[in-house]
Amino acid sequence: MALSFKPIKPLLHTGTNASSRWFSYIGLGIGVLLLLCSVQMFINIQQLLKEGSIRKDGFDFVSITKNITNETMGQPEKNLFHADEIDAVKKQPFIAGVSPLLANDFRVQLSAGNVLPFSTDMFLEALDNDFIDTLPPNFTWKEGDQHIPIILSSDFFEIYNIFAPGQGLPQLSKETAMGIPVQISCYGSNNTVTFSGRIVAFSDRVNSVLVPKNFLQWANKAFGNKERQDASRLFLKLKDVNDPQLVRYLDAQHYVINRDKTLLGRNKIVLQGIFSGLGIFGLLVVILALMLFSFYLQLVIARSRQNLELLLTLGYSPQWLGKNVSKQFVPVYIFIVLAALLCTQIMQWAFHHFVMFDRPELSSLVNWMVVLLAAALVLMAVVTNARLVKKLLHGLG
Amino acid sequence: MKLEIKNLLPTYFEEERKSTSEIWGKERSFSNGDLVNIVAPSGTGKTSLVHFLYKMRESYTGSISYDGKPLKQFSREAIAALRKDQVSIILQDMRLFEAQTILENLEIKRQLSPYHPQERIIEMARQLGVDHRLNALAQNCSYGEQQRAVIIRALLQPFDVLLMDEPFSHLDNANAKKATALILEEAARRKALVIFAELEKADHFPATHLYHL
Repeated sequence: MALSFKPIKPLLHTGTNASSRWFSYIGLGIGVLLLLCSVQMFINIQQLLKEGSIRKDGFDFVSITKNITNETMGQPEKNLFHADEIDAVKKQPFIAGVSPLLANDFRVQLSAGNVLPFSTDMFLEALDNDFIDTLPPNFTWKEGDQHIPIILSSDFFEIYNIFAPGQGLPQLSKETAMGIPVQISCYGSNNTVTFSGRIVAFSDRVNSVLVPKNFLQWANKAFGNKERQDASRLFLKLKDVNDPQLVRYLDAQHYVINRDKTLLGRNKIVLQGIFSGLGIFGLLVVILALMLFSFYLQLVIARSRQNLELLLTLGYSPQWLGKNVSKQFVPVYIFIVLAALLCTQIMQWAFHHFVMFDRPELSSLVNWMVVLLAAALVLMAVVTNARLVKKLLHGLG
Repeated sequence: MKLEIKNLLPTYFEEERKSTSEIWGKERSFSNGDLVNIVAPSGTGKTSLVHFLYKMRESYTGSISYDGKPLKQFSREAIAALRKDQVSIILQDMRLFEAQTILENLEIKRQLSPYHPQERIIEMARQLGVDHRLNALAQNCSYGEQQRAVIIRALLQPFDVLLMDEPFSHLDNANAKKATALILEEAARRKALVIFAELEKADHFPATHLYHL
């Protein structure tokens, strides 16, 4: 005959201080609900903002500069990225790649020759080819070549078309622009060389006038005053431009990035902060509820002390008794956590359906991590309870 | 089962007790089948001795061992197993679950290590004249009725040793005789050692050993 706890159960004064028991149950329920909802919302934010950013080839590309302040103004060396700083940026885990944007260190003038009465002082930049989104095969240059391929920012081209009529210049289509040869005059300290250039592609990614890197390195030597090593801009290849870690890092280093590009990331930091706070609060409520429950349990055992001692005197095993006493509360714990999980599920469904209008990035079901957390909470409550009962019974005869 | 006591003395007794007692400070060994009557006037440590033998208290010097294993070395689980299957007890202060009926009290003990079927409870209760009180709450029973219930409770389990501390203190002579007969019958069935501590020598108990505490 298996030993039954049924005749033993009435010997425990579980009716003792029922209000304390109910408070602890309700507290536990609220705490678990807060915790589960916070984690679910945290995951929702992650998913929404991950999907919300515009991606190319699975990466985000942004350029950063140093923050030019009144103190650093007029001191170019302080506003350039030095080799050690570039290395430090490369080492960050959330940055997939870094390419310094090399700028011209001499005067450049661009004109359309006889085709268009257009001439302007310009700047040129060069970037590692890997970072260029539209890279035609003819974007190459070797020493001695008179022809320089150019990749122009689509934004710059758009601006040209806006101001062209006002300047008496024709508006151009991209195709026509690519057909127009331009003259690039490079002014050195004692020499001037004019190259012929041609737009070979337009870039949506890089806001600049790009030429092959080896040309600019050569030209900086040939026309520049000094050999310039440092870059004023860094082009970053990022896994996620909205990564709060990135935003925090850039802010800490006083590097400037287009705030609009990281706006989602900044909102994410705030939202994650709010839900982390709520989650911690929920965890505190869970701990408080478990403490309250432990007081209730101590009271039950103190009130049932005489009966429990007699059971031990009769030969009941302390281990069996402890296991069965704690088992009394397991269904309650499971019920509370399941109820909280159900509420979280309803909340998630309502959030997805009514607030997010069934956006595909989110799911109406709670995330598996929330379910796992709920299971972990049941386990935590059961283990805490079993250890406490064991300890309290050990104190008896 | 062999029960040995060596140089035993409660920590709260003075050493001189050893010279006047046949138990305290002596070396004694008992085994299955022995019927030991320990006679002791009030205040000589009868209840202390029974509590020591059942490991309910450990405030003593010297040693107690069951089958060569010192009682102080028994773990809590080992003690539970010993009480369940090998050593039974009839306590002077009875100790019943007051809010339960006599039958419930007996079932709580019986289910632990069922030596007898439930019908035997009724049989034994009839033998001791408490069968009509089986469904009464323990707190509503007289001391005499409670004491008889406690005797039945001790006999529901298997045992090699039966410890009794003034088991008939609330019984009249006739009932004490009936209870002794039942105890002896059950002890004989198990070939058990019985340690019977009483104020005076019990005439109806056929002791094989008699000691003055």
